[in-house]
Amino acid sequence: MDATVGIPPAVTEETAPFWDAAAAGRLVVERCAACGAESFPPRGMCRSCRGRTMAWIEVSGPGHVYSYTVNYQRWLADLPVPYAIVLVEFPGHPGVRVAGRLRGCPPEEAAIGLVVDVGFEPGPGGFAIPSFTAAR
Amino acid sequence: MAGTGLFERRVVISGVGQSAIGRQVDRSGFQLTIDAILAAVADAGLTVDDIDGLAMFPGGGAANLPGYANGNLYEVQDALRITTTWRQGIVEGMSLPFYGPAMAVATGQARHAVIWRTVKEGSAARGAGGRLAYGSIKPVAEGPLAWLLPVGMLSPVCQVAPYATRYMHEYGVTREQLGWIPVTQRAHAALNPDAVYTKPLLLDDYLAARMISSPISLYDCDVPCDGATALVVSAAETAADLRAPVRIEAMAGVVDGRPSWEQWEDMGRVGYAAAAAMWARTALRPGDVDVAELYDGFTIECVWWLEAMGFCGTGEAGAFVEGGTRIGLGGSLPLNTWGGQLSGGRLHAAFGHTAEAVRQLRGEAGGRQVTGAEVAAVTNVGGFEAGAALLTRW
Repeated sequence: MDATVGIPPAVTEETAPFWDAAAAGRLVVERCAACGAESFPPRGMCRSCRGRTMAWIEVSGPGHVYSYTVNYQRWLADLPVPYAIVLVEFPGHPGVRVAGRLRGCPPEEAAIGLVVDVGFEPGPGGFAIPSFTAAR
Repeated sequence: MAGTGLFERRVVISGVGQSAIGRQVDRSGFQLTIDAILAAVADAGLTVDDIDGLAMFPGGGAANLPGYANGNLYEVQDALRITTTWRQGIVEGMSLPFYGPAMAVATGQARHAVIWRTVKEGSAARGAGGRLAYGSIKPVAEGPLAWLLPVGMLSPVCQVAPYATRYMHEYGVTREQLGWIPVTQRAHAALNPDAVYTKPLLLDDYLAARMISSPISLYDCDVPCDGATALVVSAAETAADLRAPVRIEAMAGVVDGRPSWEQWEDMGRVGYAAAAAMWARTALRPGDVDVAELYDGFTIECVWWLEAMGFCGTGEAGAFVEGGTRIGLGGSLPLNTWGGQLSGGRLHAAFGHTAEAVRQLRGEAGGRQVTGAEVAAVTNVGGFEAGAALLTRW
């Protein structure tokens, strides 16, 4: 399913490293230099201790689906439907939840608790967007 | 904290007014706005010259959807030819329609403040050949939307749907149960001459409707419409000058979880902090509520509020609404007696809900009047913003 029809993200100083890494196929989140807590989306501030020194670390998965939806509605002209959206959490990374597509299987196979591998696919505006696959 | 001294006890809701409401109303949003304001001022028993506060939601020309924006406050003031001592255009912090005006009036910045919400989303959707993506009027997705729109969560439907998925999974609640919310509200809409959809809706119709973003189907979504609603908030000390004021017993707006649709920690529970803060300001209890006007952008939002407000326990809303008896007009908790946004129309941000609560408490709700209604609950949204209030008869 083509995911390039859509609306691209506005990129900010805080979010540019995420989208750069995405283009290279890597999922990165912020990690606090002071307390080690991880935060997403990036804010340049630790959501645990409010520290201001953050470094980027890679989340390599697998993750599990916290919740999902299958979208059937054509919100934009030429939007291919249906497709599944999953909200993915990672056992080793508390505080991190990432929304993305689910690809490589019929959208109806989306399920809470489904174990997924991290990945990306071409999205709107030339950006790579998070796109997970069911772990085999 | 319950008792005297609460700022909301120093004000009343004195007037409600609405323009023509419909899927398509062939008047400009500006004219609909003026229609609603004039109606609300007259309803309060006031004249336009009495109005010294003006507010609108959303302010600043904010628009996420075609037909969503609200016009310009200064043009409205100019048309009304009044002097204002307080003005506000609100985007963030609009927990309840009357919250900002109540603060202004309670602190003496205005005596009679009007707030309005005007939508032309029905005409806009028609003109575009269908309901468009949430951020489609901008070239890029900004702020929290940057994590939603690019991956395909292109509408509030897609953004709220995972809450419904998670809720139904955790508590074993079914679409067959939750369908009684839109079905019952449609029956209420049939008694509201201003409602957009009044034809009976059967549970089978609900279950057979097309899926929009699972598990949210067509009749779980509110109806884009054209229309304006205005409210007048007045100082309680002016009550003798007012036709039919309604008290604000208690209100609160709390955002406790992560305020973005996909990051909210517990998608099975929404609105609890706002509800708890509201109940802490009153001696009334859920059992005292005679009629509930609970925000229903989607069916699941009603579910949040039924549970967060304590009308039923967490995970119990399916059993509570099943069959429609409890939430029907003769039931223990008549719900969205005007049809709600699901059938009455997406007047948005609990403006329609507030207007209906005021009419019920005055005994002016016509064929859908809840006999002896003395206490009404009004709630708004749930996650990103959340507001809860009790209004009571004067």
